[in-house]
Amino acid sequence: MVIATTGDADVLLPPVTTTTLGSNVADRIFCRLAELTLDLNTVDDSGFRPVLARSWEHRDSTTMVFHLDPRARWEDGAPVTAADVAFTFAVYRDPAVNAPLAPNLAAIDSVTAPDSATAVFRFRRWYPEQLYDATYHMRILPKHLLDTIPRARLASSEFGRHPVGDGPYRFVDWQAGTQITLAADSSWFLGRPHIARLAWRIIPDLQAAVSALLAGEADAMELIPSRNQLERVQDDPEIRLVPYASPFYAGIVFNLRRPPFSDREVRRAIAMVLDRGTIVQSVFGRFADVAAGATSPMQWIWSDSVRQLPLDTAAAAKALAARGWRLAQGRPVRIRAGVPLRFTLLVPTSSQVRQQAAVIVQDELRRLGVEMRIQPVEFTVMERRTVGGDFDAAFVSRTIDPSPASLLQFWGAGESNIGRYASPAFDSLAAAASRARSRAEAGPLWRRALEQLNEDAPAVFVFSPRNNAAVGLQLENVSIRPDDWLATVSEWRVRAASDRGRERAAGR
Amino acid sequence: MSPWRLAARRFRRNRAALAAAVALAALVLAAAFAPVLAPADPLAQPDPVRLQDRPPSAEHLLGTDPYSRDMLSRTLYGARISLGIGVGAALLAVVLGAGVGLGAGIAGRATDQVLMRGVDVALALPRIFFLLALFAVWEQAPAWAVLALIAATGWFQTSRIVRAAVLSLRETDFVAAARALGAPGRSIVWRHLLPHVAAPTIVSASLDVGNIILLEAGLSYLGLGIRPPTPTWGNMIMDGKDVLFTAPWVALVPGLALVLTVTAFNLAGDGLRAAFDPKAA
Amino acid sequence: MLGFLARRLALAAGTVAAVVILTFTLVHLAPGTPMLGDPERTLVSPETIARQRALFGLDRPLPAQLARYARNLLTGELGESFTLHRPVARVLADALPNTLLLGGTALLLALVLGLAVGALQALRHPSLWDTALSAASLVLYSVPLFWLGLLLLLVFGQELRWLPISGMSDPTLRETLSPLGRALDVARHLVLPAATLGLVQGAAFARFQRSALIESLGAEFVRAARAKGLPERLVVLRHALRHALAPTITLAGLSIPYLLAGSVLVESVFGWPGLGRVAYDAILSRDYNVVTACALVTGILVAFGNLAADVGIAAADPRVRLEQ
Repeated sequence: MVIATTGDADVLLPPVTTTTLGSNVADRIFCRLAELTLDLNTVDDSGFRPVLARSWEHRDSTTMVFHLDPRARWEDGAPVTAADVAFTFAVYRDPAVNAPLAPNLAAIDSVTAPDSATAVFRFRRWYPEQLYDATYHMRILPKHLLDTIPRARLASSEFGRHPVGDGPYRFVDWQAGTQITLAADSSWFLGRPHIARLAWRIIPDLQAAVSALLAGEADAMELIPSRNQLERVQDDPEIRLVPYASPFYAGIVFNLRRPPFSDREVRRAIAMVLDRGTIVQSVFGRFADVAAGATSPMQWIWSDSVRQLPLDTAAAAKALAARGWRLAQGRPVRIRAGVPLRFTLLVPTSSQVRQQAAVIVQDELRRLGVEMRIQPVEFTVMERRTVGGDFDAAFVSRTIDPSPASLLQFWGAGESNIGRYASPAFDSLAAAASRARSRAEAGPLWRRALEQLNEDAPAVFVFSPRNNAAVGLQLENVSIRPDDWLATVSEWRVRAASDRGRERAAGR
Repeated sequence: MSPWRLAARRFRRNRAALAAAVALAALVLAAAFAPVLAPADPLAQPDPVRLQDRPPSAEHLLGTDPYSRDMLSRTLYGARISLGIGVGAALLAVVLGAGVGLGAGIAGRATDQVLMRGVDVALALPRIFFLLALFAVWEQAPAWAVLALIAATGWFQTSRIVRAAVLSLRETDFVAAARALGAPGRSIVWRHLLPHVAAPTIVSASLDVGNIILLEAGLSYLGLGIRPPTPTWGNMIMDGKDVLFTAPWVALVPGLALVLTVTAFNLAGDGLRAAFDPKAA
Repeated sequence: MLGFLARRLALAAGTVAAVVILTFTLVHLAPGTPMLGDPERTLVSPETIARQRALFGLDRPLPAQLARYARNLLTGELGESFTLHRPVARVLADALPNTLLLGGTALLLALVLGLAVGALQALRHPSLWDTALSAASLVLYSVPLFWLGLLLLLVFGQELRWLPISGMSDPTLRETLSPLGRALDVARHLVLPAATLGLVQGAAFARFQRSALIESLGAEFVRAARAKGLPERLVVLRHALRHALAPTITLAGLSIPYLLAGSVLVESVFGWPGLGRVAYDAILSRDYNVVTACALVTGILVAFGNLAADVGIAAADPRVRLEQ
């Protein structure tokens, strides 16, 4: 199966890869202890199925024990052991490796291997997502192949370009900037994958990538982020679009350290005047949802019943006037004590949709007497300025995990809370939610946390795009897990009576 | 008849060059009167959903772009940037180059050597590379900065031409005679040097305008230089390349505008060269 | 001649050094930190960024960094790419041959085209053919390179589907084709980008060759040869053409900056995996080491081109050698 992709990969080693392609490929080569099922229930243990770990139990409130499947093997024949698990944890947490996911493992105190088939995880405290944290963030690495490489050189090591793993697929070839090829491991312990070869064809231009798909040179694409290109694919009878929830949401984040955004009423007024439905409809048509809050439909906490601020221009105007922002005679912008109500919104040049949305936002705010200036900036500059606190407001897009704990990451204490929002009410709600014992208990608490965020409006949560994967009709049994679209690829099939001669030639 | 008059007459007789000059005049007028001629605001996005990428029609003579903006209006306003930067940078480059070339030609040997070595090095540097890096550094470079930087990287050849002309003139008799008569340096420059140098500089500058326009377009196409939403023909093509297969006019229209404009400048430049030196035609 | 060459080489070396220093300074002064991956995909904490900067020595003062870079350069160490996690030398080794292939083919096409059209025009001067071809080459010369590429892409790639629209080769075919087949596949992908570069440059050459040939066809010795009764074709081939061939090296050398600049645009349009694209991506993501290395390579190529051009001029005209 040929996958057309627009990005290049940096390195194929899970702890250090930062590119989408790198992750997509490495995740087929390296396995987790356990995997989430399609409904992404991160709270209950029943939401996981065994992979490298055949079974697990909670020995006590801060200890989990995993029993490894004895059939699991590395490509070179060596068995996957608990020593590998302990080694992997050490690598992920090592500052010299600088793994971006290291903070996610902060709740795990230690990982030990009392024997080769048993891995013991000790946590700092009890919380219901222990299984999630123990399994989701780490892909197990081969100790016997990696422990001789100095940790700081891992990212640039040869192994990162010729990985040896234990997954359903094995690395075959990487032509830099052109194609990465994997072959199925026919003796994989959980069952041979049906599709014999996976090849990612790198075509940097989206339009050209879609053309390759339409011409039959590629069988699938992870997502098609542009409406024009989506329409091209829709017209083709041999390709179907599979919609799935995206792990993104985008919103206008306010910098609460700067006036006027230190004033909650001003933020709420802005949130109340923005007609997010129209914005989403205008920019995306039906290819996005209005964000219910700081979440996306991928997370199980998403719900249409999360309470939002009402769309009420009159109330917004009154609120602003009440805070002293008044419209002088004939002037378009509200003024308080000689200071006009204006700010600059940073928008990354890489996102056409956010730029389009920003223009509509600008228009709607103008009617409220608020002047918003749009400043398109490059990615790197936006990162620097938002992290450094040098901004009024920024139109950011967040990529989130299946776990609702991501709310804490962006809106609780920590560097990722770029607007410096601090609310004891939110913190206690989120803390209570992350301690709830089951999904049924946690659900309402998380929703109330979302509602708290909507009330305080540290950001206006605008949209969550719907992803559409393009999949040729010859591919069957395709299911897409929103956080990792190829998670179930070993179960996909290519229809036998395929007239793609290339497939035959490639030794299907 | 003065050489200027002669040149003007030859130029007028050259029909192609004349047509090009007329076309350029029309272009300049269109650009100058863009606010009047444009049917819509080039930045306005009336309906990004339904009016996106519409083909040419009665309401939008040249269609709309991916942001539902009117192509005709944007093309007219884009002309301002292209022409402004093209002519402006060419003029500025001429002034810079003539200044340095004059200085090198008149000055003592040491200064001359230093300046010319510098020019040699500068000529060897890849211009686009520096402009790329410069504009990546300077994210929101305003139009005057783009103009100045393009001019600053493009005066070297002119300086060489001017210097050569100055050097050759220095040794001629009538300059020596003028000096002997006690004429001040400045009048020598004005009365003898400048006319001698003017012709090749004018020709080189007019041929340069086309290159500068294409250079600026290339920079905007790459997303550097003058950024959207301000329309330049280059960044309009950048917008159009993503919809090339579904809405080709978005990229084709500004490109045609570029071709027509640069062809006109090159044709006029050729005509000027032929007018001043018919043998070189 | 040797002294001339020596002086020119020294100048070239100085130029390359100037290029590297200027680029290094420029890029390091640029706002924005090097992209350590896609920040909106995996949020990189400020601590991680700070550690990365320390690892690469980015927190030291600029002159110290420049000195360190110069020292490494002398031992052939070009550093590591921040975004690609590979040695820069490897990145360049992958990309440079592709650009040389593209540029070289385009140059060849341009020289042949320029000579052929220029010669045709000179022979038929003045006539309708001459005027028509002049007009054609003028228009081609005025076309923006990237737009011509897009146009060719649209017509030949999308509408007619004769030629591929992206990349340098079809990677899935690569496994099943013989070396000859693979070469032909690359050639197919090479047609449009090389044609784009070559046509515009060829138009410039044609304009030059036309005037050069017309001048030499009118020259004394050619008239003499004609008077001797030699057939026209022989006159053209042996005398005029030889005269026109001499500046070829110079033309080729002087066109290198243009070809390099053009490759940035053409590689972007056609997704050709060459140096231009690498440099552009690196500039945008502030991948300092890659940018500086690209400047180095570009400087060397341009210096080489200028050297070739100067040699060509000097070989043709001894006065130039003495004047310096």
